[in-house]
Amino acid sequence: MKTTIQTTDISELIVCHDCDLLFKSPCVDVGYALFCPRCGCHLCEPKKNSINRTLALSITALLLYLPASLIPLMTFDTFGFKQSCSVFDAVIHFYDTGYLFVSLMVALTSLFFPLIKLLLIFVISMCLKLRYYPDFLPLFMRWHSFIAEWEMLDVYMIGILVTIIKMYHAVHIQYEYGFFFFTGLLIITFCSSTSMDKNLFWSLIEEKSLA
Amino acid sequence: MNNYKKLNMEKNIEKNGVGYITGMKAGIVLCPGCHKVLIATEKNGMRIRLCPRCGASIHFRKPDSIGRTWALLITAAILVFPANLLPVMRVYSRNVPDDSTIMEGIIYFFKEGSYGIGIIIFTASILIPFFKITGISLILFSIHFKWKTRLKQKALMFRFIQFVGRWSMLDIFVITLLQAFIDFGILSSIAPAPAAAYFTGVVVVTMFAAITFDPRLMWDEY
Repeated sequence: MKTTIQTTDISELIVCHDCDLLFKSPCVDVGYALFCPRCGCHLCEPKKNSINRTLALSITALLLYLPASLIPLMTFDTFGFKQSCSVFDAVIHFYDTGYLFVSLMVALTSLFFPLIKLLLIFVISMCLKLRYYPDFLPLFMRWHSFIAEWEMLDVYMIGILVTIIKMYHAVHIQYEYGFFFFTGLLIITFCSSTSMDKNLFWSLIEEKSLA
Repeated sequence: MNNYKKLNMEKNIEKNGVGYITGMKAGIVLCPGCHKVLIATEKNGMRIRLCPRCGASIHFRKPDSIGRTWALLITAAILVFPANLLPVMRVYSRNVPDDSTIMEGIIYFFKEGSYGIGIIIFTASILIPFFKITGISLILFSIHFKWKTRLKQKALMFRFIQFVGRWSMLDIFVITLLQAFIDFGILSSIAPAPAAAYFTGVVVVTMFAAITFDPRLMWDEY
């Protein structure tokens, strides 16, 4: 039995990564998203002006990264005792309590992975923007998709809010610049990863590596 | 609001009389690293082992997916007990230590009257780990016993599990911030307690369980 799928060109086919359904790819325009017709999983969503936007947003986020992690978030004030802490100080303080594994996970998810993810996005989009296709690009793309899951700035933000609500009866809280830098970093990081069109990035990398 | 065009996909799907055509039936593999569609010929194995585009190793299904996921899930189910029964945080007030477990922390919020925060912490640190472990085991059981009902709902549940997995770290981040900010010497200070390590273990292990599980397995033979 010869089906139409066997006769069509392989580049027109799409395989759903969640249910392995094979189907002919329709043309998906910018502003639309393609969902798997069988399991409903999100397959692709072309983005407008993806490379430029990703590059601009990743540069913004990298500029915000250092102040967001090194400037104190807040100052807690009770009976004249003052304590102010940044994201980085919190990790160091946790390490001093002796919980190596937990402090390592906190350091990775709230400090290192966001930075590595932003650097990877920056390098990848910069290379694509400059039409320069070094050999490490596919490797960087794979690292990015692994790290994206382990980067938890958004959860950390909710953690900050829960801490504030837990303590605002007991202490006087003064917000420092770090809090606003951190909020900005969170929003820009989120925007830079949503503006990234992975299918486009991969197809550009492929075109050049074959040429 | 919804600007997603509803595409009529029926004409693009090929049914061969038995069921849907999957990539595996047609001898087509999807690269796990870059989602490139590749042809895998030869029945016993694959002609290509590494993706020509990104270099990831290619398999029809993730290797040993079910065994690995079970191992990680059982680890998580064991770790859940110390994580919830041991104290997670130690509050020193005028040098008098006071231990509290995760549940006691939640009850504290409810007594204070902050129900919203209490519900958020309860969802993030008790409901989500419980839901992840039971949800993935339900899917694994349904693969083992070939329960072919409600596949779409199970797929949705798995995607939800993948999405909420990270949010269990919330409690750990709150402890990180509290122990850093509440350090007023003899007046009061906060330190983490052993359950914090077990709880982080639960989060990491269940996230890896969601990564190692291959959702395509539940759609096979459909």
